[in-house]
Amino acid sequence: MEDLKPNAWAWQPDRLAGKIVAFCRFVRSNGLSGGMQRTLAALEAAKLLGITDRQTLGFALRAVLCSSSEEWQTFEHLYRAFWFSQDDAAHTMASKPVNATSGRARGDSLVLVGLDHGNASSPRSEGKMVSGASSQQRLKTVDFSEAQKTDLADLERLALRLSHQMSARLSRRLKIEDLGNHVDLRRSIRRSISRGGDLISLAFQHRKVQKKKLVIFLDISGSMNLYSLYLVRFAYALHKHFKRVHTFLFSTGVVDVSDVLRARSLADALRKLSQRATEWSSGTRIGGSLRQFNRAHGRRVLTRNTVFVILSDGWDTGAPELLTAELQTTRQRVQKLVWLNPLLGLKKYQPITRGMSAALRYVDVFASAHNLESLLALETYL
Amino acid sequence: MSDASPNSSVSNPIADVNSLVRGFERLGYVTGPGLATAIYLGMQLPKPLLIEGHAGLGKTEVAKVLASLLRTRLIRLQCYEGLDISSAVYEWNYQKQLLAIKLQEKSDQTVEEKEKHIFSKEFLLERPLLLSILEQDAPPVLLIDEIDRADEAFEAFLLELLSDFQITVPELGTIKARHIPYVILTSNRSRELSDALKRRCLYHWIDYPSFEKEMKIVRARLPRVEEELASQVVRVVQAVRHLDLTKPPGVAETLDCAQAAVSLGKDRFDAEAFEQTLGCLAKSMEDVASLRAAGIEKILSQSN
Repeated sequence: MEDLKPNAWAWQPDRLAGKIVAFCRFVRSNGLSGGMQRTLAALEAAKLLGITDRQTLGFALRAVLCSSSEEWQTFEHLYRAFWFSQDDAAHTMASKPVNATSGRARGDSLVLVGLDHGNASSPRSEGKMVSGASSQQRLKTVDFSEAQKTDLADLERLALRLSHQMSARLSRRLKIEDLGNHVDLRRSIRRSISRGGDLISLAFQHRKVQKKKLVIFLDISGSMNLYSLYLVRFAYALHKHFKRVHTFLFSTGVVDVSDVLRARSLADALRKLSQRATEWSSGTRIGGSLRQFNRAHGRRVLTRNTVFVILSDGWDTGAPELLTAELQTTRQRVQKLVWLNPLLGLKKYQPITRGMSAALRYVDVFASAHNLESLLALETYL
Repeated sequence: MSDASPNSSVSNPIADVNSLVRGFERLGYVTGPGLATAIYLGMQLPKPLLIEGHAGLGKTEVAKVLASLLRTRLIRLQCYEGLDISSAVYEWNYQKQLLAIKLQEKSDQTVEEKEKHIFSKEFLLERPLLLSILEQDAPPVLLIDEIDRADEAFEAFLLELLSDFQITVPELGTIKARHIPYVILTSNRSRELSDALKRRCLYHWIDYPSFEKEMKIVRARLPRVEEELASQVVRVVQAVRHLDLTKPPGVAETLDCAQAAVSLGKDRFDAEAFEQTLGCLAKSMEDVASLRAAGIEKILSQSN
């Protein structure tokens, strides 16, 4: 800040404007939302306040450029990095994101970290023809752990299409259930005028059924390796077709990846995902992760009309009491708790893993998730 | 907009950020320059101000104090699940309309005249949002409280109002605001608000105050509390916030607790007083249990 004395700003309005624009670009490249309008508002704010000190400028820019408490915290850091560094440094930084704050490692690989057969997902396979009906039927029932690399693209396509159907069917079904009524006095009176004020035909109001919200809690630990690759794709497909979905990945900690899964193309989403989540294929602490989730995100994303879907095999290295307690907390906040377990597809599997048996008390639906068909059965639980 | 307060006997309370800070403090609301800057910009740009933060940190109070500072009217819309147009914007007075129809039966007015009569302003019940744009003299402060509790559809409707400041009543036509109200929205973050709404608003996050600031607040709000007692209470509350409670105490709880201690005739906030005022700080069975388990002495010793 040495070469940017407060006075210098006041006397050089052109230069300040330029710097503010650069700063707006800088924060945007580091993950803050907002576009041109925000930049204009920032300039206007600076003009209004007749900025003579750094602090007020900081407060003004913060009020204009932030829109959530996460951004609020990031902002402090970005503000320091930009305005309190040397002039030159600030300009060079403006063009590239600060790694420490965005929390995303740089990596060009499309491969999900720790998933050795992830490379089949590359866009190269997109040109393939859709297979015939019988082949699709086979794909729907093939266990993910036995799926061939070559099937992956077809599976993807099928998943996208089926989940599209599923969402369409869901919304239709909600409409038919739309019953229950109240008299709409306002319309009734309006109608009655032409009959001299006698209420002959009544108008009714219907209750609007709210669409359910989906929260997916996906296990990406080592024991889920064979499945998580597919389940992530499934989550992506759900994001594409449902408006209100949140997805969280967990192993020993929790990462919110909802924004990543909303990416336009699957390849994009997968690349960003491999940068975001760092604990692929590590151990599992479901209880601890769920606790972290409940604390950090629970109040925000869980509502009375939420269906909470856990996709995990239930191998938990943490204390089973913790898992039970946290599941209970989650259960109290949501409408339904669904646990989909890929291992249920194995014929001899019984839910005897430590975590699992303690958890089942608070789970409304416990079903398998080892192939596409079983995943699509999710529709019936919603 | 800047002529909102024509009052010239005292200096204009919203002339700049510093006079806002002073004005708020005069009315017993301790605010930092950060919040004051946001409020000032909200009035000048003008843009709605979205204030988020945990419960009990004085979000709602901002609007109340601002209204009394500007000596203007505070119009409050409390949001809740299922809030609809008829309780947020306007409603027709049906009983009165029915009576009027009956009374008009014998008159020889045409149907159109009758209709015009029963859908006139006389039969209109104004709800907060309509009220806020009908204000004639000066821009009012419109407080939209706990917007996160209303559903997304209402949020979308609000967007329209916040950009145009006009409301259309089909039977009456479009009503445009004479004075654009100062809008303050609060949210407890019980759900994520839509990006479109956030984009239109300035944002401020109210965090738990520092020890010094909280002391200042207690002294401003409860001038009768002894300095010693106040600082003990604040220290305990600050320490309690670091415990892992489901509902950490806000500033409102600090004030309750200090007030309770005074009412109980305490001059020191000791273990006994802590036990007696536990209900002010912990608002659930689990929290009471974990406060007791953490050990009152331990919290006190940590905080002293």
